[in-house]
Amino acid sequence: MSRFACLWIDAFVAAAAERSEPALRAEPLAIVAPAPTVTRVIDANAAAREYGVGGGMTETEARARCPALVSRPFVEGHVRSARHALLEAAFGVSPRVEDGGAGLVYVDAAGLTWLHGEPVAIGRRLVGQAWAVGFPGCRVALAGSRTAARVAAVSAAEPVTVVPPGEERTALAGAPLAVLGLPPDLAATLEGWGVRTLGELAALPRDGLAVRLGPAGLRAHDLALGRDRDPFCVWTPPPFWEEAQGLEWEIDSLGALAVVLDAMLGRLCARLMAASLAADALDVRLELASGGHHARTVALAVPMCEVKPMLALIALDLEAHPPSAAVTRATLSARPVRARAGQSGLWQPPAPRLRDLVAVLARLAALVGPDNVGSPRLDDSHRPDAYTLHAFSPPDEPGGADGGRTPRPDPPLSDSHRLMLRRARPSRRVAVATDDERPSRVDGQRVVGCAGPWRASGAWWDVDAWARDEWDVALGDGTLCRLARDLRTGEWCVDGVYD
Amino acid sequence: MEDVAWVRRGEITEIVGRPSSGRTSLFTACLRDVTRREAVAALVDAEQAFDPASAARAGVDLRRLLWVRCGGRRDLALRAADLLVRCPGFAVIGLDLGEAPPRLPLTLAFRLKFAVERTEAALLIVSRRRVTGSGASLVVETERDAIDWAGPGPVPTRLAAARTATRVLRARRPPASLPSSWWSA
Repeated sequence: MSRFACLWIDAFVAAAAERSEPALRAEPLAIVAPAPTVTRVIDANAAAREYGVGGGMTETEARARCPALVSRPFVEGHVRSARHALLEAAFGVSPRVEDGGAGLVYVDAAGLTWLHGEPVAIGRRLVGQAWAVGFPGCRVALAGSRTAARVAAVSAAEPVTVVPPGEERTALAGAPLAVLGLPPDLAATLEGWGVRTLGELAALPRDGLAVRLGPAGLRAHDLALGRDRDPFCVWTPPPFWEEAQGLEWEIDSLGALAVVLDAMLGRLCARLMAASLAADALDVRLELASGGHHARTVALAVPMCEVKPMLALIALDLEAHPPSAAVTRATLSARPVRARAGQSGLWQPPAPRLRDLVAVLARLAALVGPDNVGSPRLDDSHRPDAYTLHAFSPPDEPGGADGGRTPRPDPPLSDSHRLMLRRARPSRRVAVATDDERPSRVDGQRVVGCAGPWRASGAWWDVDAWARDEWDVALGDGTLCRLARDLRTGEWCVDGVYD
Repeated sequence: MEDVAWVRRGEITEIVGRPSSGRTSLFTACLRDVTRREAVAALVDAEQAFDPASAARAGVDLRRLLWVRCGGRRDLALRAADLLVRCPGFAVIGLDLGEAPPRLPLTLAFRLKFAVERTEAALLIVSRRRVTGSGASLVVETERDAIDWAGPGPVPTRLAAARTATRVLRARRPPASLPSSWWSA
């Protein structure tokens, strides 16, 4: 048996603005659009409608009716992202959802009782999902057809309405004809006949309607009976999840921009969590007062849907690459991936959580430079101090049979009691006096012990050939250091100090 | 995870001493113990003096070591250490301040102390002299005892080993046995 749920948001354009700026929910709000001659209201929230403010009137007239009216310009990005948010909220409950237009989403509820229980529980779940993505005033109705569910949701006063199976016609009978959204000429004809409610339209003879009104009349009759005429068009989520925020004032400081981004990330993460997804990367697009735009892509390294680390990474990136002018509008796009839960081994040593590690590495890179943070790896060379710094990514393979409780065996040729060399970078040139080719004084310091030479060379076939003699010397002040003499130039330098 | 050798987690330990007294070798032995147990360590290197080749020969698993080079900027090193001690999961965080370390302001020392208490990391500070005052739970001083030269003939050709002694300067609790031994070159 078919069961459909309908999510309905009243005054959706105003609700989208309230979602971007939640403080507006307590105010009478009108969304205005500048026209060539006069600014007109295109939508108003319930508080404004109580004062008689409605779509189509001029802003001056609306302010005359409601002096405390707050107006906001129409931002298409708000409506677009709010529409997607509502669809995604429904998508978290059922895989089959249909986009019915702004503020209207149909959900195929067949079989959902196995997951969520009674129809009322399904409705509450949908209301909760919509609330989580910023629509506290969502109304949900469940019925045997999408039309019946929509009419029930629009007409109802309660957040959740359930029309029992087979009683759609009775439930719709009292609803006004306007809820069907019929073409104006058809609505005028029916009104001329004295038809005011769906029940009256449903009671008209079908053949007579077909003769007098044609296909439009039959369609209206089907809708009044609660029958669906169009196939269910399943909505598939777009590959990029986006949140946009237009700014009333230009923002030229990163601190103020971070507040805006924080709110946007909050909405984006709520959407991602509602669909059990995580962001793999974030695309930040800032529109500038100069007319240009500033685009950055922030790779998260680990999929996440937490606002704080995401905000830290974006702020650090923007700090390193600031926009060239004040920001007038911000857009955030997330690349979603399916988040996978992981569990550490019981005996595995603690390691930094990936999201903490990513954040701290980004901060360290901003502090000392990205080239100075990483994990050293030895190059396959005999050249002194031959290593490269790689991105820090500790291996996560489990340990031995006991999961790392006991240390691993030492690698071959290693010695735990190895004397370390403290490298002098770059090597410090010194004046060395020799006695029978052995160092006797280093920068005036007497040499009390000396061993060498230890001859080494390499890359003789290439332009960066090197050849040197190394000496271990103990100086009079107690320092034990390694000297090197370049065999090509004859210069002496201190490689480092044994410590 | 248990304490690594004589260094306790959640506390600040200082290793001080003159150049060539064996403090870096002692510190590297701790890094080796930590990384061989598959834990993760970090080293904030103010003077960029760390030698990966020596560390690898000492048995340090370099893949588990985060090295932060500060190019001689001790102020950056302190800020980097301040960041790392707040990130839970590092077993040991080394702060090598080199030969001319500034004495840390008491507020910073206690800030580091409270941070490591919370994250249960062991903060090891290697420097010429004490820098954290009463913030450190354990301070040890290293001193070189002897040098052993090696070579096939009467004239030595290579430094073979150095022997160091370790002395406790301050200990809130008596430490476990401190390593005092020969370090082979």
